Amino acid sequence: MLFVWALALTVTVLGTWYALKHLSSAPPHMDAPFALYPVSILKPLKGDERGLLKENLEGFFKLDYPKFELLFSVAQYTDPARRVVEALMAQYPKVRARLIIGAVDVGPNPKVNNLVKSYESAKYDHLLISDSNVRVSPHYLKRVVAHLDNGVGIITAVVSGRNPKSFGGYLEAMYLNTFYARFMLIAQAMKQPCVVGKSMMLSRKAANRFGGIRTLGQFLAEDYMAGLAMEKLGLRSVIMSDPIHQEIGEYSVKDFWNRHVRWGRLRKAQALVPFLVEPLFGAMISGVMGAFVMNMWFHLPVAAVLLFHLLVWGFSDLLLVRKMGSSLKVPVALAWFARELCALPLWLHVASGNTVLWRGRTLQLQRGGMISAQ
Amino acid sequence: MFLADFHIHSTFSDGKLSIPELVDLYGRQGFGAISITDHLCESKTVIGKAAEFLNRTLTPSNFPFYMEILRSESERAWDQYKMVLIPGFELTKNSMSNYRSAHMVGLGISKFVHADGDVVDLARAIRAQGALAIAAHPVATRKVEKQTYHIWDRREELATELDAWEVASGPFLFDEVARSSLPKIASSDLHAPWQMTSWKTVLYCERKADAVLEAIKKQELDFRFYAEEPKHVYRPWDDVVRLGLSPDSYSTGNLVRA
Repeated sequence: MLFVWALALTVTVLGTWYALKHLSSAPPHMDAPFALYPVSILKPLKGDERGLLKENLEGFFKLDYPKFELLFSVAQYTDPARRVVEALMAQYPKVRARLIIGAVDVGPNPKVNNLVKSYESAKYDHLLISDSNVRVSPHYLKRVVAHLDNGVGIITAVVSGRNPKSFGGYLEAMYLNTFYARFMLIAQAMKQPCVVGKSMMLSRKAANRFGGIRTLGQFLAEDYMAGLAMEKLGLRSVIMSDPIHQEIGEYSVKDFWNRHVRWGRLRKAQALVPFLVEPLFGAMISGVMGAFVMNMWFHLPVAAVLLFHLLVWGFSDLLLVRKMGSSLKVPVALAWFARELCALPLWLHVASGNTVLWRGRTLQLQRGGMISAQ
Repeated sequence: MFLADFHIHSTFSDGKLSIPELVDLYGRQGFGAISITDHLCESKTVIGKAAEFLNRTLTPSNFPFYMEILRSESERAWDQYKMVLIPGFELTKNSMSNYRSAHMVGLGISKFVHADGDVVDLARAIRAQGALAIAAHPVATRKVEKQTYHIWDRREELATELDAWEVASGPFLFDEVARSSLPKIASSDLHAPWQMTSWKTVLYCERKADAVLEAIKKQELDFRFYAEEPKHVYRPWDDVVRLGLSPDSYSTGNLVRA
């Protein structure tokens, strides 16, 4: 138990140090001839993202990049995202943009189905797949492309949850800015592919070597599987040095819970061993274990050890939160406690089943991440 | 006439090299045909589950990627090296007992096969795809590793169910298989580049997947000890002499593509 406590605390502190170092570094090739790397940006859309879609998409029309195209796709003509895109296309007529309507059924993953037409009709080889709920600065695309290098298969980013406007939103932001960011970067340090579809650049030529978008349609986590498939081709996944900004806004505790049940079940299906040890790397469980062990062996007061543990852990997390671009307000500290307290119940909920609810569909997860509709 | 190797592992199971790296490794040496045959372990045994947790086996989840990468790499192997790449797997039944363990290579496969079940059923499932079923290292390999005797112990029953038996796996010839009248094949069971030095199969057919499989079936082949390193420690000729094998069929020296 002492070993587990020491390991958990060490991983947290060293992981935070590595994350801070990585997020402070400059992209390796900012002097690249960007005009030689035209990019097709693929934006699969559904709904208007709780009224945030226009602001989310507008940044892509303002990108400072010599040659790119925007491909927005909606599965149905009646999707409210269509009007938002049409209005933006009218507002920015000089930006090369297309709206693609209609999904191609290649599997149970609706996002992949929505992407197939844009993937296949994109003009350029370099594709940047980007979720509808992220926001970007004008330099974003240059900073992504600046990570292209020999042997790089996918460029992804850690997700920074910003501007929460409800307690559920603070929980969500806390999860993204601490637990996910740190473990994605630790995975990268350990040369394990860990790709997040919110920002995922790849070469279509390389992706077609593993079957391209159509093969990914069998999986719920098409992003993670793309990273894994690239690794099998001998190409590595790289996490860019800037986090991608996700506007959280109004977000209920239920939304938070459901999303992390889904993500947790994905982790369970795809990497069972890390999932099983996950609770030991939460602040509360490892802290309680450490406090009791130190009390038993060295007669140190339980409360003092636990307080020390939580201070070290909390300080590491708050440093990371600040680096990820979130402001440090009072609700952040409360959300930190709440998130740590709910980590175990959430893990138990995740462990108790294999189904996920996503975009209105109940999907059955199989080991390895394949899905079937129920 | 060209060299071929039909038992090779990639990073999809416990190999050290990715499929593209293997294609380049063999292509640069002038091989005419290879088959990547990653482990496909049982899903219901503890050992099989452990292999799955450790990502050391083909599974229904990674199999689509495996087949797609083999497809795209077979095109590249042909374009770049005029080398035939045949999709394969090694059905892997590992048990605590060597006598219950069995490995069976499928050559020219197109579909996933669950490795649970009796070896007769596995061989039939492989052949039902039009692929060849081959007994992998059926006797003692002289290597420090798990031994797999189950198929050899049932050789009379399985003689008609399998298309070939490995007469060599790596640098060693297998006495029992060499002396038998069973159809044979020689492969490296390569997991890392240093294992290139090993017995290989020599074929005389056209460089086409169908022709290669047919040549194995008809046993229109020979065996050759291929030495990557000139100063290797193995003495393959000792085995050939000891077993009284024909030097026409068991030779040494590296063929170079014409």
